[in-house]
Amino acid sequence: MANVSLKHIYKVYPNGTKAVNDFNMDIADKEFIVFVGPSGCGKSTTLRMIAGLEDISAGELKIGDTVVNDMEPKDRDIAMVFQNYALYPHMTVYENIAFGLRLRKLPKDEIHNKVVEAAEILGITEYLNKKPKEMSGGQRQRVALGRAIVREPKVMLLDEPLSNLDAKLRTQMRAEISKLYKKLGTTFIYVTHDQVEAMTMGTRIVVMKNGYVQQIDTPKNLYNYPANKFVAGFIGTPQMSFFEGTLKKDGEFVIIKFDRSNAEIKAPYSMLYKAKPSILDGKTKVYIGLRAEDISVVDNAGKDCAVIDVVVSHKEELGSETLIYGELCGGEEGAGESRIIIKDDGGREINAGDVVKVALDIGKVHLFDKETERSVMPRIPEYNYLDCQVKDGKLIFHNASFDLPSAVKCVDAKGELLLPLNAVTLDGELKAEVLSCEYINGVYLLSMSINGNRLFALSREKVESSTVNIGIDFKKITVIADGEKVIQPIPEVNSFDCSFIKRKTRRSIEQNGKVKNKKMIEFGFLTEDVFFAASDEAAQKIFSALGVKKAVTSQFKMECGIYDISVSDSGIPACVNRILDYGKDIFLKCAVGENTVYVKTDKEYVGDIFLAPDMDKIGIAESERDIKII
Amino acid sequence: MENKKFASKKGRERATLVIIYAVLILISLVWLIPFFILVIQSFSSNSGMAADTLFPKQWTFDNYVKLFTETKFMTWYGNTMLVSVVVTVFQTVIVLMTSYALSRLRFKMRKPLMNVMLILGMFPGFLSMTAVYFVLKEINLTQNLIGLMLVYSASSAMQYYICKGFFDTIPKSLDEAARIDGASRHTVFVKIILPLAKPIIIYTILTAFIAPWGEYMFSSFIMLGDPDKYTVAVGMKSWLDNSVLAGEYFTVFCAAAVVVSIPITALFIWLQRYYVEGVTGGSVKG
Repeated sequence: MANVSLKHIYKVYPNGTKAVNDFNMDIADKEFIVFVGPSGCGKSTTLRMIAGLEDISAGELKIGDTVVNDMEPKDRDIAMVFQNYALYPHMTVYENIAFGLRLRKLPKDEIHNKVVEAAEILGITEYLNKKPKEMSGGQRQRVALGRAIVREPKVMLLDEPLSNLDAKLRTQMRAEISKLYKKLGTTFIYVTHDQVEAMTMGTRIVVMKNGYVQQIDTPKNLYNYPANKFVAGFIGTPQMSFFEGTLKKDGEFVIIKFDRSNAEIKAPYSMLYKAKPSILDGKTKVYIGLRAEDISVVDNAGKDCAVIDVVVSHKEELGSETLIYGELCGGEEGAGESRIIIKDDGGREINAGDVVKVALDIGKVHLFDKETERSVMPRIPEYNYLDCQVKDGKLIFHNASFDLPSAVKCVDAKGELLLPLNAVTLDGELKAEVLSCEYINGVYLLSMSINGNRLFALSREKVESSTVNIGIDFKKITVIADGEKVIQPIPEVNSFDCSFIKRKTRRSIEQNGKVKNKKMIEFGFLTEDVFFAASDEAAQKIFSALGVKKAVTSQFKMECGIYDISVSDSGIPACVNRILDYGKDIFLKCAVGENTVYVKTDKEYVGDIFLAPDMDKIGIAESERDIKII
Repeated sequence: MENKKFASKKGRERATLVIIYAVLILISLVWLIPFFILVIQSFSSNSGMAADTLFPKQWTFDNYVKLFTETKFMTWYGNTMLVSVVVTVFQTVIVLMTSYALSRLRFKMRKPLMNVMLILGMFPGFLSMTAVYFVLKEINLTQNLIGLMLVYSASSAMQYYICKGFFDTIPKSLDEAARIDGASRHTVFVKIILPLAKPIIIYTILTAFIAPWGEYMFSSFIMLGDPDKYTVAVGMKSWLDNSVLAGEYFTVFCAAAVVVSIPITALFIWLQRYYVEGVTGGSVKG
C-alpha cells in the first residue's frame, strides 16, 4: 500500500530509440491506474520499469518514499501478473502460490494459511494440487493473481492479464479483478490495449502513444474531454466520427461548414465559447469530432436543428441498438474523412444506399487543430484571446483599462492580447461578474464577464461570490499587433549550455591534529567557464543515466527558474541589458554569452554582474537526445 | 468408376509403402550386419581373423574369459569409465550454465562470443593436439587421467548451442515472475529453469558421456607409452597394431567391443524417451 511517483522517466535504448519519453505521474495510494494505448506505445515498458525488470534510462521512480531506480525487483515490494500467466509448469498450484513465501523463509503454517486464504478469495481451492497445464486459461490467471496477492505487495502490476482469454471469460475476470482491487485496497497499475478494460476498471487512465503520454484523467473525463484527436478516437466504441471543416463566428452564432457536405450548420456561440477564437474565422481547417450517441437520425429537420445528409453504407445490428455507418454527401470529393457512425435505436427501417437526415448535437462537439491534432476547445483554455489597444501607456480591452508597468511600455498599437489564464489574478481592482465556477482536476475554472465580454481565470479555491476583483500579471502577457509581438512575456525558465566535468582539487583537512593537503575529486557543471559543484545526488543521477564515459562528453542544458537565480559576488558573468520594472517585481534582463537571462532582483544593477543559480533547484537535460535528467 | 479410382489410390499408397519399407530394411541391414558379425565372432573359438564361415563352427566363451583374465582390458575399462563419468559431470554443469547465461543475460560482446565459440567448435579438436600435449607436459599431467579429463572438459562450453536453443523456448516471463517473487538468478536457474529443462539435461549428459567413451586421438597421444593408463579405444587399437597379435586377438577384440557397447546401450535405452524429447523439444514447445 503505497503511492508511486514517476518523475521525468525515460527509456532510451542503446540505438537511440526512445520507448518512453518524459513520463510524469503521481499515483496516489489505492488508485487503480490503467496504462492504455496501441501496441508499441511504451505502456508495458513503463510497467516493467516500475517492476524493475527494465532499467530506467533517466528519471526518478519512487515507491512509497523510497527511490527504487536501482533496486532489485524483489526488494521493491511489488507483485506482477503477466500476460502469459508465467506459472511455473513443474509446480502444483499450491507450490506456485507458495513459491514467493518459501523464498522469504516464512514458517510453514503461515505459508499454508496464506495460500489457502488466497485460494479461497479466488475460488481455486479445489485446484491446489493440480499442475497449471491441467487448468483452463481463466483458472491459470486466477493462480497468477493468487501468487501476486499472497505476498501482500505495496503495488500490484498487471501486464495485459486478460489478453489471452476469450471474450466471455475476459468480462468475467474483469469484474473479478475489480472486486479484488476493492477487497485488497492496494495500488493497482494495469496495462492493456483494450480501451473497454481501461474505461471499466481504472480510477484514472493514462493514454499513451509512441512513448508519449497523451492524457491522464478519469475515464469519464477522457471520454468527455479528450485532449487530442488520438485520445478522442481511441477512447469510446464505436469510434468518434471526425470531419474536416471550418467554423465562422457570426454575431451570437457560429456557422459550421463541412468539407464533405453541403450543409451549413448554425449553432449558438454559447455552445462553443471555449473554442480558441482564432479558429472561428471561417478559414482555419479543424477536425470536428462527434460521438455516435450524439448523432441521431431524424425524420424531418426543424429549422434551427443541426442537420446534414448522410448516405448509409452499411449497418450493424447489435440487438439493443443499431450502428449505422455512412458517408457525408456533397461537398468536395476526396477532401478528408467523411465516414460517420450513428447510434440508432433500431426503430427505423434503414437500408444501405438510403440518404437519411442526421441531427448533430453541437453542444457535445469536439474540435481539434488540423496540424497538431490537439483540442482547440479544451476544458481549461490556455489563453484568453482578446482584442486590445495600447494607448498612452495603458492597456485597454473589454472597455477596461490597465496602467502598463514601465517594463512593458510600448508604442501605441491595436492588436490581440494573449492573456494566459494564470496571468489573471484575483486581487486586482477591476470588477468582474462571475458567470460560472467549474471544478476541473484540482483547480476551479472561473468564467467571468467584464462589460459583457467573457474572460477566464483559474482559482485554487471555490469562488462563491457573484463578483470578483481581477488584476493582471504583466510578466505573462503577449500583445500582437500587425503580426509583431509588441509586448512579450518573460520566460519562466532560463537555460544555459553546460558540460559535466570532473576536477581535482586540493583541500586542507585536519586529521589527528595534523593538517593534510588532500587531493579531492569533485564533479560539477561548467557553464561559461564557471564551475558549480554538483551534489552527490545530482552526479549520481547523471552517471546512472549516461554512464561514466558519456557523462563527461555529453552536452547539457542547465535550466533554472527566474526565481532560482540571483545576483551574487561570484558566478556566471553577465551584463545587464535592461531593468524590467513590473511595479511589484523588478527583473534584470542580462546577456550571458549569446543567451538572454532573466533574474529577479530587489536592487537595480547596471553593467557587469555575476549570477549564481540555486544548485538545489536547477534542472539538467541532455541536449542531444533531449532527456531531462534532473 | 468412383470405386476404381479409390482402389487405385489405395494400391498406389500400398506400393509406395512397400518401396519405403524395402529401402529401410536394406539400410538397417547395412547398419546391423557389422554389429551382428562382431557379436557372433566374439563367441567364436576360431581365434584368427580369416574365418571362412559366418557362423563359427564351435561356440565358446573363451574370448570373454581371456579378455577379463589375460589382458589389461579391465584396467582400461575402469580408466575410461572414470574419465567419462567425471567429464560428464563437469561438461553437463558447464554447458548448462553457459547456455543459461547466453540465453538470458545480455552483455557486451555476447553475439561475437557466441559466434566465435560456434566456429571454434567446428574445427577438429586434434588440430591443437601437439600444443595441448606440451601444455600438459609443463604441468606434469601427461600419462595422467586427470590430464585427459581436463582436455575433454576444457572445451565443453562450446557445446552450448542446442541447450541454449532449448532455454530460449522457456518463456522469459518465468524468470521475471520468479525474480519478482524474490528469487536470485541462481535460484531461478536451479528451481525454475533446471526442472523444466530435464530433456536437455539428459541430452547433454548422453553426449557428454559418449564423446570421451569412444575418443581415440587425444587419449592415444596423451597416454602414449603407458599401457596402464590406456582407455579402451587406445588399448584395443594397440592389439590391432601388431599383425601377429591382431590375428590372435581378433575374437577377443570382438568380445571387448561388445562389452564396451553395453553401458552406452544401457544408458541410451534408459534415457531414450528423454533424448528424443530433448532433441526435438525446442521445436514443438513454442
